[in-house]
Amino acid sequence: MSLAKKFFSSVAALSLATSAMAEGVSPKASVLFDLGGGWRITNSMLTGWMISLVIITLILWAVRQPKVLPGKAQSVFESVLEALRDLFEPIVGKKAFPAVFPLLVTLFIFILIQNWSGLLPGVGTIGKGHVDAEGHFHLTQPFVRPFTADFNSTIALALISFGAFLIIIFKYAGPKLILWDLFGNKADKKETPGWLYPILSLVFLVVGFIEVFSISIRPFTLSVRLFGNVFGGENLLHGTGFFPVFYFMELLVGLIQATVFTLLSAVYVGLICNHGDDHDHDHAADGHAEAHH
Amino acid sequence: MYPLLAEITGNIASALGLLGAAIGVGLIGTKAAESVGRNPGASGKILVQAIIGMALAEGLGILALFLAK
Repeated sequence: MSLAKKFFSSVAALSLATSAMAEGVSPKASVLFDLGGGWRITNSMLTGWMISLVIITLILWAVRQPKVLPGKAQSVFESVLEALRDLFEPIVGKKAFPAVFPLLVTLFIFILIQNWSGLLPGVGTIGKGHVDAEGHFHLTQPFVRPFTADFNSTIALALISFGAFLIIIFKYAGPKLILWDLFGNKADKKETPGWLYPILSLVFLVVGFIEVFSISIRPFTLSVRLFGNVFGGENLLHGTGFFPVFYFMELLVGLIQATVFTLLSAVYVGLICNHGDDHDHDHAADGHAEAHH
Repeated sequence: MYPLLAEITGNIASALGLLGAAIGVGLIGTKAAESVGRNPGASGKILVQAIIGMALAEGLGILALFLAK
């Protein structure tokens, strides 16, 4: 019994020591400049602006003037766009695709680079701190924090995505189709028995309210998914001392989360705007889509 | 022994919700990979279905994480 006690107390001491050595990343971004009146510039915002500047200058410098015969850099970007177009076009549907594609590409590239920027050396590890009694250094105010590891920025991204979703569905589907899609009875009148049809209408109406609730929490789930993955990854890397396996896993997670965020935005638009024309891509499918409802 | 147990803190309700979400996402991922293996041509459509399913399952997990008391 006493042996067990000793063992457990030593384990507890060990875990305390490690937790003191590798403390977690704070969930809040730390304030770098206070402008007064509630306006603050945090390290996360500053990183976001810097990385955005880098992306903009890189693309402007690489593409410069778009040419019909693309140079090396331009053809790289064109092949990226081609791959993304092949991925998104069947999801969104032909009708809303031209409006939503620039947004999706921007979201994808932006989130991907911001996620990966958290893996650069120095991000989250350089900053102000204090030295405790035993001589260990504790970082309390890092100067650089990845943009997507801050809940405020992922909320902003999700709100942009949701606002664009609302605008696009009202423009390309219209209020009538949206209402029918949410609450309308999708059963075929010829194939269902007559007494069943009103009951089905009621069921579809109730399902519609659940659907509206699940749509209204979409900005929340989108932002929390991205924030949780990136912030959790930061914590994992800091806790394990940037162990190479986890570093590689975070590379993958950054790519996957950027893809998931963009794909979900595309799917949300496609669920309402993409009706009926996903069977025949090459034929003009607008007639079918109109006949469908 | 007891101080160590006392140090284990957390929320069982959100832990169970997240466990369910994790199991759900795992099942959807297995089935998606299986069905792409059976019919590689349909991988685009399978990806969409899998992403929708995963988003729904994960959404409940997120709700459990944030709303459980």
